[in-house]
Amino acid sequence: MDFDFSDEQEQLRDAVRRWVDKGYDFERRKQVVAGGGFDRAAYTELAELGVAGLYVPEAHGGMGMGPVEGMVVMEELGRGMVLEPVAQTLIASALLAGYAPDAVQADWLPRLAGGEALVVLAHQERRNRYDPSRCDTTATQTATGWALTGQKSVVPVGDHADAWLVPARTAQGVALFLVDRAAAGGAACTEAYGLQDGGRAAELHLKDCPATLVTQDGAAAVQHGVDVGIAALCAEAVGLMDKTVATTAEYLNTRKQFGVAIASFQALRHRMADMKMQLELARSMSFYATLKLNEAPAERSLAMSRAKVQLGQSMRYVGQQAVQLHGGIAVTDEYIVSHYFKRLTQMEMLFGDTLHHTARVSEQMEETAGVFA
Amino acid sequence: MDLAFTAEELAFRAEVRSWVEQNLPKELADKVHNGKRLTRDDMQGWARILGKKGWLGYGWPKQFGGPGWNAVQKHLFEEECALAGAPRIVPFGPVMVAPVIMAFGNAEQQQRFLPGIASGEVWWSQGYSEPGSGSDLASLKTRAERVGDHYIVNGQKTWTTLGQYGDWIFCLVRTSTEGKPQTGISFLLIDMKSPGVSVRPIKLLDGDCEVNEVWFDNVKVPAENLIGEENKGWTYAKHLLSHERTNIADVNRSKRELERLKRIAKAEGVWEDVRFRDQIAMLEVDIVALEMLVLRVLSAEKSGKNSLDIAGLLKIRGSEIQQRVTELMMLAAGPFSLPFIHEAMDAGWQGNFPGGTLANAPLAANYFNMRKTTIYGGSNEVQRNIVAQTVLG
Repeated sequence: MDFDFSDEQEQLRDAVRRWVDKGYDFERRKQVVAGGGFDRAAYTELAELGVAGLYVPEAHGGMGMGPVEGMVVMEELGRGMVLEPVAQTLIASALLAGYAPDAVQADWLPRLAGGEALVVLAHQERRNRYDPSRCDTTATQTATGWALTGQKSVVPVGDHADAWLVPARTAQGVALFLVDRAAAGGAACTEAYGLQDGGRAAELHLKDCPATLVTQDGAAAVQHGVDVGIAALCAEAVGLMDKTVATTAEYLNTRKQFGVAIASFQALRHRMADMKMQLELARSMSFYATLKLNEAPAERSLAMSRAKVQLGQSMRYVGQQAVQLHGGIAVTDEYIVSHYFKRLTQMEMLFGDTLHHTARVSEQMEETAGVFA
Repeated sequence: MDLAFTAEELAFRAEVRSWVEQNLPKELADKVHNGKRLTRDDMQGWARILGKKGWLGYGWPKQFGGPGWNAVQKHLFEEECALAGAPRIVPFGPVMVAPVIMAFGNAEQQQRFLPGIASGEVWWSQGYSEPGSGSDLASLKTRAERVGDHYIVNGQKTWTTLGQYGDWIFCLVRTSTEGKPQTGISFLLIDMKSPGVSVRPIKLLDGDCEVNEVWFDNVKVPAENLIGEENKGWTYAKHLLSHERTNIADVNRSKRELERLKRIAKAEGVWEDVRFRDQIAMLEVDIVALEMLVLRVLSAEKSGKNSLDIAGLLKIRGSEIQQRVTELMMLAAGPFSLPFIHEAMDAGWQGNFPGGTLANAPLAANYFNMRKTTIYGGSNEVQRNIVAQTVLG
């Protein structure tokens, strides 16, 4: 039972932090937003740091690292609200390495690791809300392979992805497919748009679109992908909340009204204490999610749901109160805190919200305390 | 980074679990599991059993006869006791005054007082709060005037937990009114059988007398009972608070009570009620998060690397969770938590509890009693001041 980081993990953290501090400040981020919410050059820089290959096995040119390294990287990216979707790369790496046939792995994983290929999970549909087992996209077997028809929504950087991991329903149930954008041609169309946090997503329309089977066990794979996504999101949120709390504390100590720093007002001090509470509870559950990511599926998914329930509450509280404590400037676009708030808000709606995961925890709750011991 | 305990830690836990199973009387565990009233003999009996094993002073260093356990071992011991239904250790002797005597007392005081504490034979009470001095403890007024080889003590302490059973009381007393209030306080040990000491129970809203007022009317206390130096008492008292004490979170007991809540919810038919069940689920997540917070603090203490200055968070959250568990238990029983029958909360009561489920008898009383947790030990508002200091400076 040990929560210390190794020297190598600290070095990884430092490397990413330095890149964010020097290479992805708020000014650059504004330019990325203005340019549509995704900057391939920034993603390439991250790949050069080794970040894209974090979960890719060494045999395929990756770093072969695990959940703790993923957590460290995502925390640091969260501090800078980096828009380039490294979490999606972690998900895609885990899914391909864990479920895809050897040929598909050999074809895609090295390119993933090098940053040449950006692969994202396209599991959201208009009517499946947070339940990936609901899937209206269909897959039919053809002479040459598979053809998918349907629509996926809010696909992260969907129009820039080189491939999408797409759940689709066969006669046997939900399976997971890989759709290569170059090979799909006109059978796959995207409509892209900006997101509330300044990032980018797209609607993905598939019409008899050629696809490669990753696994028939689509339900298990998608759940696993979502779980990797939740753990990454928790870590990202912790990094961002840490930054948000520190920024707010600095503001309270600097801002003067009635002749004194507003940090001297007890109501505001207590609010900061409550923000710190939410941050540390979130950090604790982010550790929990990370340390449960390699458990058996049922235990893993329950742990992710528990974590998201805590993170959902913490993100909402820290985001809302950071705005409140800053007063008027925090509702302007110019000041960074409104962006912290919007990112924290958006993360609630990814991979299942607090209410959804409370229901999952509730359904699976055992008669015993069922906690760590 | 690893969630699992080491093989040695697991072996230690197994050893403790086995010993507790063999030595914790079943009737006592039943009382604790069902929220029944504990008698003096219940509490002191358990203290004596632990004392014989050398585990009452489980946090004591080896030098003073303690087992010399590290932070993780202490946590595992606390957890095994709590989960098995052991009564809470009455902390005033073994956890509160003993470390002060060990750190600041002289050899004679250590020889005189520590054995009685370690064995469970001597019941200690805490004399800190006064009617006019709660959160502002340093403003205390109970006076100790040095006259020859004695102190003459006059004043009043309040909220003295289980003081009606106390043999000795350790008191913060005022020995000087010069300078800042904190610099005029001394740490004095007083025999509660001394002439002039009177104890009056305070009835609480749950119907029982868990706390007392203690009056001191010209009580003669030998000067040898002063710990350390005069006017240094405040620093000795603060010493206690300076170690990270994860048991302030009481997460182990909350896990046990969560199971009790689930049993009650099933018995009352609300386990199948999705809306009620969701409330339990949210509480379960809160307990997992608190446990993870505790483990982070333990890990930091174990490795000595990054000290986590978050004891205040443990107290705030721990107390809120303690309250929430009792709240949901009472709500689960609903109208059948309302009958107030004092004797029904004693083990072995043979009457008919309205509704037929005796387990519901103590639920409202438990809920009412636990409102104290966010008030004592440094109120949660004061704790928030302290936490804010760590963030804002």
